[in-house]
Amino acid sequence: MDLLFSSVALCSALLIWGSPGLTFDRGDRPAAQDTPVNFDAKTMAEFTARMDEYAALNRKVAATLPKLSDSATPQEIDRHQRDLGARMAQARSGAKQGDLFTPSMQAVTRRLMERLFQNATSRRQLRDSLMDDNPSPSQVRVAVNARYPDAVPLSTMPPEVLKNLPPLPKEVEYRFVSDTLILLDGGAHLVADFVPRALPR
Amino acid sequence: MRSGTAVAIAAAALAVTACATWLAPNDPPPAATPVEAAAAASARTAFPNAAKSLKFAVLGDFGTGEPMQYALARRMAAEHKVFPFEMVVLVGDNIYGADRPQDYANKFELPYKPLLDAGVKFYGSLGNHDAREQRFYKLFNMEGKQYYTFKAPQQDVRFIALESTYMEPEQLAWFEKTLAAASEEWVIVFQHHPIYSSGITHGSDERLRSVLEPLLMKYGVDLMLTGHDHIYERSKPQHDITHFVTGSGGKLRPGDVRPDQPFSAKVNDRTNVFLAVEILDDQLVFNAYATDGSVVDSGTITRVAKKAAATPALVGARE
Repeated sequence: MDLLFSSVALCSALLIWGSPGLTFDRGDRPAAQDTPVNFDAKTMAEFTARMDEYAALNRKVAATLPKLSDSATPQEIDRHQRDLGARMAQARSGAKQGDLFTPSMQAVTRRLMERLFQNATSRRQLRDSLMDDNPSPSQVRVAVNARYPDAVPLSTMPPEVLKNLPPLPKEVEYRFVSDTLILLDGGAHLVADFVPRALPR
Repeated sequence: MRSGTAVAIAAAALAVTACATWLAPNDPPPAATPVEAAAAASARTAFPNAAKSLKFAVLGDFGTGEPMQYALARRMAAEHKVFPFEMVVLVGDNIYGADRPQDYANKFELPYKPLLDAGVKFYGSLGNHDAREQRFYKLFNMEGKQYYTFKAPQQDVRFIALESTYMEPEQLAWFEKTLAAASEEWVIVFQHHPIYSSGITHGSDERLRSVLEPLLMKYGVDLMLTGHDHIYERSKPQHDITHFVTGSGGKLRPGDVRPDQPFSAKVNDRTNVFLAVEILDDQLVFNAYATDGSVVDSGTITRVAKKAAATPALVGARE
């Protein structure tokens, strides 16, 4: 009986291990029952650390430029923005999509957005709110280090969407271009990274 | 709640009216609808024009650099001569399109030069078309902040500017802290997105309303000034708070109004409008001016004595 019980337990463990629906942490160890939550939390913590590094780089690069005063002229604002954009692009010249939003973080982001829509009182209203003046891909070239065009409005980010996503340092914002979630470096007017198809269909 | 079909029919009817207006600008205007009737000219309410009052204007969605903007700017300058408002509250979309230095000139400094030369101060807030760096622009007086607060130079009035396209938890926490610390008799919040609007293109931002309105109510905010929809609208008091949409400072969307919205007190989608306001003690007088100098809405708002009448907990929180 003991042998039968042990065999069943072993088979069950192997089945669980091999289940494609479960996720594991980076040590490839089977995790506790709440693994997906822990995995997401870990992924988000790592993302936050990467964003902090990005912000630190932004501040370091900005420190090489004359400080923008709180009462600047349009010329000073324009020069600062373009200089910062050029230097950030140079400092991240090897950057590619997925560096900040790693594949795991892209998956987590999509899951977060899906859950948000599932729990929304009105999914249509939430989608309408996200699509309010939301630019199309033809208006914004979504690529790492691409400049966000001056003439294109910024999408509105509803409060519950921002509350649902990991907080960002003040140098970077979440915005949508159609259903692509971008990380926008506001001071440099650059796309730092993006998640395609971030919104559930 | 209206059905989707009814809304679609109403929208289609308004769109047809708007198209007809655009396609045949020299024809007489179509027969008045309830919306247009509500948009008819109003009698002007005399401003006290008192030495100690706070006089200000409200302007939104203006920075196009196009003739409509310049025409309304000239009207503002003309009204300033008889009603010398000392400041202008900007409810966003300050610089549309490119925001190179020449755009700041063409879309802001030139049209409002007479006001700037007269020492009028402009206080900006950011719309969805605005680069975030506008917060550093000295003539928008935002001191480098996307959301900020200041006490008016006259009367006991506090203004709070919010950044409504990006209402992250940190800003909401700051907003509540600022409201709780505001001891002024009048508290006025301004931001780009309206939480009450009859606009078809955007309309009421109900998601923002769900997070902001409880705070507005809790801390006794008197007035909310917004834009985004390119119309003028005043709401009936919503929980004692009057909401203004002043999004026709340089753009206009004729026919972009849902009729019979229960919260709406007055709406105008036929002309560019700016709002002029005077606060003296517990009274606020407003006139909404069209480009031709006619007044499209006017009235007096008496500060609700809710601060004294509110529950002690709320009064305590506010003080």
